[in-house]
Amino acid sequence: MAVMNVTAGQKAVLTLGNTSVLAAPGASGGLEVPFMQDITVNASTGVVRYKTLDSSSEKAFTTPSTNQISLNCLVDEDVFFGAANTTNSIANDGLFGSQNSKSTVHFSVAFEGTTGGSTYLYGQGFLSGLAPTASQDAAVFITPVTIEVDGDLSKDTV
Amino acid sequence: MAIRDTLITGLTANLASSNVSVSSELPFNSGGEPLYIKNKKYVYIDQDNIDVTELYGTLDGNEIYETETTVTAYLTVDAKNQPSDIDTIVNTVVAERLGVSGPHIKECEVETEITLDYITYNFDYRFVTV
Repeated sequence: MAVMNVTAGQKAVLTLGNTSVLAAPGASGGLEVPFMQDITVNASTGVVRYKTLDSSSEKAFTTPSTNQISLNCLVDEDVFFGAANTTNSIANDGLFGSQNSKSTVHFSVAFEGTTGGSTYLYGQGFLSGLAPTASQDAAVFITPVTIEVDGDLSKDTV
Repeated sequence: MAIRDTLITGLTANLASSNVSVSSELPFNSGGEPLYIKNKKYVYIDQDNIDVTELYGTLDGNEIYETETTVTAYLTVDAKNQPSDIDTIVNTVVAERLGVSGPHIKECEVETEITLDYITYNFDYRFVTV
């Protein structure tokens, strides 16, 4: 039992690809999103509550999850606008291009790095929420990124 | 090249026709007095003070840092009979911050202090680069 400490760097890793193979943690050709400041995996289910006449407490059941990956990162030119890549179209188009074309994006979120035995979540979805911003006080472009997950989040190990 | 050197080079040229001069010496104490008080009508520029701080921390360890450099310049003149072009001189020293290339923030704050019969202008430059 141990907390998952990310201070060593390269621990919380988001990898993108146009196939699940390319999006696996540490995969050759995968697009690792650099300069992430934070990342949130949202897998909350909906809840419906109802009352019955024979109970003094509400009853509940859950509805399908709304799965979403959200993060903030500093804008890297190649990652945001794309760099020539013949195998990974997400890397080729960049975050902006992939959002613009509404391409399906496969992703993985590694919690403990990309070394063997590390746990990660994976799935597929669509990029959304890009809003790069910069100011004189913080003169580097920073943008939120959201992956609206299409379907389930699944768990695996590297 | 230190920002101090850039300021000295620029001010030496831009104050050449004024009633003050620019010294390349540091404003150290001589005989218990700072040089800028001992040698009035000379602009003295102190050494660069550099402060590197983290602007953004990242999960992959590629932190982004910003560097703040502060430099102080001093000019002392007779308080009763200031040079006739003192306003131009002050404006020139303040404007010299714009001659430093690289930083995206270039600020200068002027403070004055009157002691006995002389007035000292302190020019606090602040430059920030990422």
